[in-house]
Amino acid sequence: MASQVTLPRLGQGMESGTIVRWLKSEGDRVEKGDALYELDTEKVTQEVEADASGVLLKILAGEGEEIEVGKAIAVIGEQGEEYSPPESADSDGEEELTATAGVEQQAEQRARVAPRPQAAEQMENGGRVKASPLARRIARERGIDLSALRGTGPEGRIVAEDVERAEKAPPAAPAPAAAPAAPTGEVETIPLTGMRKTIARRMTEAWEAPAFQIAMTADVTAAIRLRQALVARTGEGEAKPTYSDILTKVCAVALMRHRGVNALFGGDEIQLQPTANVGIAVAVPNGLLVPVLRSCEGKTIPQLAAERADLVARTREGKLRQEDLEGGTFTISNLGMYGVERFVAVLNPPQAAILAVGAIEERAVARDGELLARPIMEMTLSCDHRTVDGATASEFLRTVKQFLEEPGLAL
Amino acid sequence: MPALTYREAIRDAMSEAMRRDDDVFVMGEDIAEMGGSMGVTQGMLDEFGPDRVRNTPISEMAIVGAGIGAAVSGMRPIVEVMYQDFMTLAMEQLVQQAAKHRFMSGGQIKVPLTIRTQGGAGWSPGAQHAQQLEAWFLHVPGIKVVFASTPADARGLLWSSIYDDNPVVFFEHRTLYNLKGDVPAEIDGIELGRARVHREGEDVTIVATGRLVHEALKAAEEAEQDGISVEVVDPRTLLPLDEETIVASVRKTSRCVVAHEAVVRMGFGAEVAAIVQHQAFDYLDAPVERVGAKFAPIPFAPVMEEYVIPHAEDVLAAVRRTMGKD
Repeated sequence: MASQVTLPRLGQGMESGTIVRWLKSEGDRVEKGDALYELDTEKVTQEVEADASGVLLKILAGEGEEIEVGKAIAVIGEQGEEYSPPESADSDGEEELTATAGVEQQAEQRARVAPRPQAAEQMENGGRVKASPLARRIARERGIDLSALRGTGPEGRIVAEDVERAEKAPPAAPAPAAAPAAPTGEVETIPLTGMRKTIARRMTEAWEAPAFQIAMTADVTAAIRLRQALVARTGEGEAKPTYSDILTKVCAVALMRHRGVNALFGGDEIQLQPTANVGIAVAVPNGLLVPVLRSCEGKTIPQLAAERADLVARTREGKLRQEDLEGGTFTISNLGMYGVERFVAVLNPPQAAILAVGAIEERAVARDGELLARPIMEMTLSCDHRTVDGATASEFLRTVKQFLEEPGLAL
Repeated sequence: MPALTYREAIRDAMSEAMRRDDDVFVMGEDIAEMGGSMGVTQGMLDEFGPDRVRNTPISEMAIVGAGIGAAVSGMRPIVEVMYQDFMTLAMEQLVQQAAKHRFMSGGQIKVPLTIRTQGGAGWSPGAQHAQQLEAWFLHVPGIKVVFASTPADARGLLWSSIYDDNPVVFFEHRTLYNLKGDVPAEIDGIELGRARVHREGEDVTIVATGRLVHEALKAAEEAEQDGISVEVVDPRTLLPLDEETIVASVRKTSRCVVAHEAVVRMGFGAEVAAIVQHQAFDYLDAPVERVGAKFAPIPFAPVMEEYVIPHAEDVLAAVRRTMGKD
């Protein structure tokens, strides 16, 4: 059955367009997806694809003609097929197309647009905005006009996320009605991925916790010697222990001595954890993940180094399993490798505390009236005050400091 | 907690019911000396004797008919139909008789009959031994339909089926018989009509049955790597259906995938999709996706069989479609 090709609405606010050039002639075979004509709107010029296959039986709108959205511009059907002559494109615009045989299919077989980047606007379907039921409900409840939004779902559907984003950011001013200009200085919008959404949600939750921070510095001369000794004993193909591994170990031992810090906040209870499961923050493209090393208090530093190397490698390769991310009781975030001297980490709820570790730097230190150059590392402990108080946190951090300065104390 | 295979769990429920209750007995083709073609009733003849572990002729209509007769006479028979494909031969007895007696007698007659049957693809049994026909039975008022996916569920649900006063068709999946899992130390019924949430999630709900529960759990793990948090719900009882749990889950996640091994068309998933769109319409952020076998008889050739039936990757693809990530 012959179907009409009508002028699509390529973007919001588009009322009409001008056919620049037909790319097929009457009598040509047309396959669905073939570029059918070039269309000029106020914003862009672009090729429009046919959404039906057949023979281009009739062109109703000439090149250079300005056509209203929804008007028939061509008829596609089978060779020699009878078709009910639709109203010509330039007939009185007051009347909508009447129900001829082809009209019902019109919505489905409307020419599909191959959008160029600058034309990636939400496409409306015969004036009806395509939105999910949930997006409609949220929009209704919050008084948001869906027709002002751009859909990022399949086939341009407005999904709940689009409405929520629109509520936060006021709608962008309509683009100037000028010829397409090079996109200079425009805001680049990056929709949140699942991981970024999780980070956003978890960090916002964390911000609601009453947090306090305490800081100490440690002289890591002995820790450096310890690491050198461990590295010297590392066999070929084995993971070399890092300062992070030493930190993981000493924190784990300190956590078992100050179990109030090795705790989770459970709403109406505090849950002291039986083992020190230390999460390590690992940067990945566009985010970070915190895989967990389990029962670190009972493991040697070389064991921890091997497990850490495996976890970090799998984190970067995207091969973590869900259980690798679960069960943490404490987190260490180390930005020392970037030269950061000190920073404050955001809590990782429901864990009671997170340790932010800076770079090891040689600093002038006064000892017994003498000025010495010593390797110093700064540590900042962020604590959830619902679970842990300043005194407990300070005792824990002092123990960590002592262990770093005299690793033998951790035995 | 003791661990049993799916096969042992089913046997355990039957044997324990038979130890406690003289009214319970089993019958079916080759279930006595041979222990059933899937080995589920192995050893039961030795314990309970030939009066209570009864071999039958090869006539599904006769087996189910005899089961109905025993049930209306006060017994609690467990009938094994070797393949669910053969249930077609017993449809008159089940649909016209078993499902109707209680209603047509004004409640004077009860039919506490349990029909155990198994099937499913994945081991190249061919088109006549590989179907998943549960949807046929969901269309009939008056019977209950159970499809267990784990040993613990199989044992608890079979127990409840045996002691239910209505006819119950109890589906087992062939590829799950060796699946091992913890079961409670003490046998206890699981209420018919209660779903199990296998895994909680925030972004997408997968409603899965039978073998596809395990495929859904694999898909959920994969999706998690992508930052998609998936909830997996196993209705366990297809009739009556725990609509409340399914709808509550979809209202939370806004997205729904239904997954079963049976063909998609006119399947259980269609009913779930209808329920979800009706009861959670304003919560849906994407069309409900259905995953199931392609609309074709199941081929013999393993490679073609694998192509026709759904796997974790098909479930994952559907999950990604609901997230607009395909």
